Amino acid sequence: MFDLLPHLLNGLTLGLLFALIALGFMLIVGLMEQINLAHGSLFALGAYLAMQLMGSRPPFPAELAKAWLALPLGWRYAATLVIAPAAVGLVGMAIEFCMRRTYGKDPLYGLLLTFGAAMVIEETIRLVWGTRDYVLQVPQAVSGGFLFGDLIWSTYRFYAAGISVAIIGLVWLVIEKTSFGATVKAGAHDSEIVRALGINLTRLRLLVFVLGTVLAAIAGIIVAPIWGIRPHMGVDAVIPAFLVIVLGGVGSFWGAVVAGLLVGLCVGLSGAYASEWSLLSMYILLVAVVTVRARGLWGKKSVLEA
Amino acid sequence: MIPISPPSSDATRLVTPAMLVLWLVLATVPLWIARVGLYPYLGIEILIWSLYALAFNLVLGTAGLPSFGHGAYFGIGAYAFGLCQFNVVANLWVCLAASFAVAGLAGALVALFISHRRGIYYAFMTIAFGQIFWTLAIKSHGITGGEDGLLKIARLPADFGVASFDLNDNVAFYYFVLVLFALAVVAMWRLTHSPYGRVVAAIKQSETRAAHLGYNVWIYKASIFTLSAAISGLAGGLFAMAQLAAFPDVMSLHQSGYVVMMTLVGGGLVSFWGPVVGVFVFLIARDVIGALTNAWMLYFGLLFIAIVLFRPEGIAGAVSAAFQKHSLIRRQGYSAMRLLFGGERWR
Repeated sequence: MFDLLPHLLNGLTLGLLFALIALGFMLIVGLMEQINLAHGSLFALGAYLAMQLMGSRPPFPAELAKAWLALPLGWRYAATLVIAPAAVGLVGMAIEFCMRRTYGKDPLYGLLLTFGAAMVIEETIRLVWGTRDYVLQVPQAVSGGFLFGDLIWSTYRFYAAGISVAIIGLVWLVIEKTSFGATVKAGAHDSEIVRALGINLTRLRLLVFVLGTVLAAIAGIIVAPIWGIRPHMGVDAVIPAFLVIVLGGVGSFWGAVVAGLLVGLCVGLSGAYASEWSLLSMYILLVAVVTVRARGLWGKKSVLEA
Repeated sequence: MIPISPPSSDATRLVTPAMLVLWLVLATVPLWIARVGLYPYLGIEILIWSLYALAFNLVLGTAGLPSFGHGAYFGIGAYAFGLCQFNVVANLWVCLAASFAVAGLAGALVALFISHRRGIYYAFMTIAFGQIFWTLAIKSHGITGGEDGLLKIARLPADFGVASFDLNDNVAFYYFVLVLFALAVVAMWRLTHSPYGRVVAAIKQSETRAAHLGYNVWIYKASIFTLSAAISGLAGGLFAMAQLAAFPDVMSLHQSGYVVMMTLVGGGLVSFWGPVVGVFVFLIARDVIGALTNAWMLYFGLLFIAIVLFRPEGIAGAVSAAFQKHSLIRRQGYSAMRLLFGGERWR
């Protein structure tokens, strides 16, 4: 039984990462009923920007770069966690400005628009950084490993899992416990009434979309040291994110979190016994669940199934 | 929603004037394609992808079902062609039939699981199955050759009993594909304008309403998906012949996305010919822009965004809208003349 424990723990941390990756995607699906296929590319963009910021040649003017490099690694990392997602948020803003034109039409158009945006972002990444792999530096405090039982555990995995829990909790608090969250949810439910109450729904939607893209970038930065930074990482992220949402059910916050954990456990455990096939397990899990339950685990009725 | 075009007299024909013109133009392609700086192989590619995109559009355009993992059936057709050639019998007709049948079987299996789903759940189930087939193709080294692909597939001669044609030359193969393409176009044209096709189109407009009218929606959704997968498989078999190999990359999510893009850019949602227009634009853009810059996906992505934003009905839709406007002006001009000159009084 003890043999299983590392795999279980590994699956759980992986599951938390999947939940984190899906979080931004879920916000946009749940609150705007739009599918953001550029999620993966924005995730990758966040990681690449962070890598550039943490590397030896930060994208600043010479003076600033010198001052930046003089900062301790930990400070730089913390600042990167703010700067890179903010930059990605600007890209998200641009996408939302285009996406506005598709609101109220078939949700297919939003999906296609973001597919085009994903292509553009991915190709831009390839032009700027090439196709080689990169490594994201992290502060000493969270890298390395420690001994527990007879096994070596990676410190970073636990740090990443902890951050995931914190961010998921924070987003939940914002949606469920603040007036901003209440207005946003009301806007998703009945946009006409919300407008009639004098709330600027256009700005609200922009905010939600930007928040979703910022979360994508943060997930990218957190996951990058584990998966590595390469052009394909966007696709590797958007498919699990989409899968987690469909498995958990559109419109359900905890559905997505539970689905993330399930997918992580599934991939982690199957990876232990048949690593070649571990990626298949999540699709089989999805097919099994959606065959029986029409709207995933706890999905609500949504225009996305019309 | 985009309105469905009203039934025209063409809908009842077996072969329409548009088809004849298209075939005649396509038949002359090998005569001039090298002179405009392109190459005969591109013609083959365009025909095969057109067949694939038309088959795909049975699901997306006719039935309104978002299938984003269609590359799987194209790829399965390609592998089936090669494996049949190596392990069963090296006969062109048997191998092409195998491509059609095996891909159709895979489509039917998937249809069993997805046909009672809608919207986003339908879309993602098709992605999931696409990924499953893709992973299987990559990981089953023994059968498919893994990432290296299934190599050394031969272009078998087309044997008609009385005469046999060698297809190794690209021009000969082009005409062979053109004949199959023409036959498939007629079949799909008749299918979409048959009573069956009308019911499928009704399901696109409202699944609930079609069900209340007494149609078994599930059977229609499952059968159109299966048929589309089978024809995609046939296109895949031809593609294996064209490439002399079968590779897993056509099954990836990206390539499945390309066929969606081609279909929509061309205007598959409003026009039968939309997918063909899209394939032409996509493949020629790939070669022309690709020759100028290696970032052609960047520009094509921007073009795609612009089309989704400003011309969501695609190129075919934009053209037909322009025609309608033109005829409207003519008609209005005519009534203005009648008003001026008193119309019937002059007779």
